[in-house]
Amino acid sequence: MEAGNGLLDEYVLACTGVEHPKVCFLPSASGDADHYIVRFYRAFSPGRCEPSHVSLFRRDKGAGLGCDLAEHLLDQDLIYVGGGSVVSLLGVWRAHGLDEVLRECWRRGVVLCGVSAGSLCWFSESVTAFHGPPQRVAGLGLLPYSNCVHYDGEPARRESFHRYLSEGMAPGYAAGDGAALHFRGESLAHVVSSRPQASAYWVQQAGDGLSEVALQVRWLGGSRTLSAA
Amino acid sequence: MGGGGFTAEPHNPALDDFILSLAPSLEPRILFLPTASGDPNGQIAAFRATFGDRSCRPLHLSLFRLEQDPHDLRELILSQDIIYVGGGSMRNLLAIWREHGIDAIMREAWETGVLLAGISAGAMCWFAHGITRSAGRPEPAPALGFLPGSLSVHYDGDPIRRPAFLDAVARGAIPDGYGADDGVGLLFEDDQLVRIVASVPGTQAYRVQRTTTDGASTVLETVLEPQLLAAVPSLRSRDVPEDIREFRAERYGAAARRR
Repeated sequence: MEAGNGLLDEYVLACTGVEHPKVCFLPSASGDADHYIVRFYRAFSPGRCEPSHVSLFRRDKGAGLGCDLAEHLLDQDLIYVGGGSVVSLLGVWRAHGLDEVLRECWRRGVVLCGVSAGSLCWFSESVTAFHGPPQRVAGLGLLPYSNCVHYDGEPARRESFHRYLSEGMAPGYAAGDGAALHFRGESLAHVVSSRPQASAYWVQQAGDGLSEVALQVRWLGGSRTLSAA
Repeated sequence: MGGGGFTAEPHNPALDDFILSLAPSLEPRILFLPTASGDPNGQIAAFRATFGDRSCRPLHLSLFRLEQDPHDLRELILSQDIIYVGGGSMRNLLAIWREHGIDAIMREAWETGVLLAGISAGAMCWFAHGITRSAGRPEPAPALGFLPGSLSVHYDGDPIRRPAFLDAVARGAIPDGYGADDGVGLLFEDDQLVRIVASVPGTQAYRVQRTTTDGASTVLETVLEPQLLAAVPSLRSRDVPEDIREFRAERYGAAARRR
């Protein structure tokens, strides 16, 4: 849902392998911000897919859904989790039993994706800097690695990630803005990006030091630049 | 508050003025937590518009935007005279507070004499139990339990909440408690109810107690007459971008358009 750049949106839609996929947006990490939901419907318009969203803050108003939450989510081809506070996201999900529902979605092959907090949540551990100084947060653990986002833009986050790794956090993946890690099961299958300079790394503790391996990132807009050059 | 205050009655600040009048200081520090609704900008702007014009020092705490506006949560909350909790989903409110350790901080605030106020989910959260519609249908749910007993809000405005509350008390699923109409405020000192006030004429509060007659459990509902607060009209509606207004009207019904 980057402004004026639909490359990653197209990519996640294509991952479903369905022509007109059902896509459900979970904006819980932003507190179900109205502007974010509007942005989702702009980016994932009914011409391209069958969009819906689940608002966990307005279930009394019947907003978003008329049917059973679990049933709706299990019926999707793609679940897209928005950014915001990963701590609040996981707390709210647990309060509504969504952690278990999403685990089941994953087992059944629903494509799960998300940006920022919506990325961190799938891993066993992550670094959030949302609440001031960076802190370690345990996620759903579908992917048995750690995850750090905004890796290129926020030095404090990067430093904290390195420190946590040295303190025993599971080795993991770091992604810069615009980079997307695509897993099949628990294995990394592709790294793609919406921006030509985006970067991603595999980072782990190695002896006394730290090893940071740059991953090959495929820019999804590549062919267009060549013709412009 | 069973309803009322600046989010529900933007043109009737009687309950909000009442809350300010309870603080010992002339210019109390008042902190608004819109957590239960997911920190929507509209609620924060409405809080600022209402309390910005009054004799107080208003602040809000947006747990979804700590990134832009970091705080030491304990220090911030304990330095307030008044905590004002907005309405929304009680289940989400309590889950998020727990994740951030705010449940424990609120207890500390309560014990040190900070005035704790709130509307709807923000009112029920202080009791042992409330009737929440966090999952759509009304159901009893445990809350922080600073105040013993239970509370059901919107007693007149939300017709399906009251039967769920009476049923839960009759069954003994939740303890005896109170019902409050929209516009009614219950004031407790420590855990004693000391005053009942209203911003709207004709509204009431109720004492709801489980009784046993002929071996069968039932509930006794006693009307508690509130004292009507003098209303002072004010305030203007705020600008909301067209596409967001349209989306809200679509999703939440025409009532949202008026906000």
